[in-house]
Amino acid sequence: MSRLACGRAREIMTDSKREAAGNPLLRKLEGFVPLPEADRAALLKISENPQVVSAGTDLIREGEPPDGMFLILDGFACRYKLRENGARQIMAYLVPGDAGDVDGPLLRAMDHSICTLSACKVARIAPDTIWNLLQRPAVAAALRKSTLVDEATLREWLLNVGRRSAPERLAHLFCELHLRLRAVGRADENGFELPITQYDLADTTGQTSVHVNRSLRELRERGLIKLRQRHLTILDLPGLRQFAEFKSGYLHLGDQAAA
Amino acid sequence: MSLRLQPIQVATGDADQESQLVFHDGFLVAVLVRLSHEYEDEAGKWYLEVGFGRVNTATPPTFTDLGEAQGWIEQRLTRAA
Repeated sequence: MSRLACGRAREIMTDSKREAAGNPLLRKLEGFVPLPEADRAALLKISENPQVVSAGTDLIREGEPPDGMFLILDGFACRYKLRENGARQIMAYLVPGDAGDVDGPLLRAMDHSICTLSACKVARIAPDTIWNLLQRPAVAAALRKSTLVDEATLREWLLNVGRRSAPERLAHLFCELHLRLRAVGRADENGFELPITQYDLADTTGQTSVHVNRSLRELRERGLIKLRQRHLTILDLPGLRQFAEFKSGYLHLGDQAAA
Repeated sequence: MSLRLQPIQVATGDADQESQLVFHDGFLVAVLVRLSHEYEDEAGKWYLEVGFGRVNTATPPTFTDLGEAQGWIEQRLTRAA
């Protein structure tokens, strides 16, 4: 009987470890700051009951009051703004482990919208829960560092749309996503699932889908990548990074960036 | 308003062969490129490769035929006048 109990305990521990290993928020934040066990448990708890949200759903719209924070546990979401003529600019991707703004509830109204690009698993974190999390010094440091990385990434995207050619913009984005997704266990050495459309890529890189099409072809002809059925295969990682002039420092991933 | 079209080949780097220069009052106002089969759901449509002056836009559209493209270009030239 004690052997059985022991076996069960071992199973439970294995499940818990597996849960932690698979939790993208935990993986991301632990990449920034070592977390005590109680903090890990608290972060796992807020990820417990995500909602499945279909692609193309607004989680919150520009002008609405921020009510807590969205945490993406699976799929791709984005921050975007719309012009009156319907033209959309995507300013950030939220991939597994990414969340909206920790301090968002300090603002009266959203200055942009957040929507899902693919089917997503999303947890909504209430303002009280965020406040409680911020009382944990390690979690607070990790979330603040995460916000700094978001800002650094936005600067890099601004450089992308302002000063890189169409193929270079996509190459840079793919290099970045490769590292971000690897950090949360959603990419391997050779590539990752990219569950978004060419229109999404166009709105991200400030070009039309026609130019995205041509740019993807150029990257393919250079032997750098292959994008088929929403799976991006990286054929030549050093070559892709060199072409994009990609330097991973702005992601502040430490040793993970060398992977 | 009369627009004049002149067939041209544009080095877009792919199989797009059929393109048109669009002139208004002797001035080049746009270049339209017909999208090849590589563009799947947009194949066969005309793409505003570039617009000059009042036809310039940050979000170049595609058109189902040359008539629609010319209508859009004329509207831009008139609206901004």
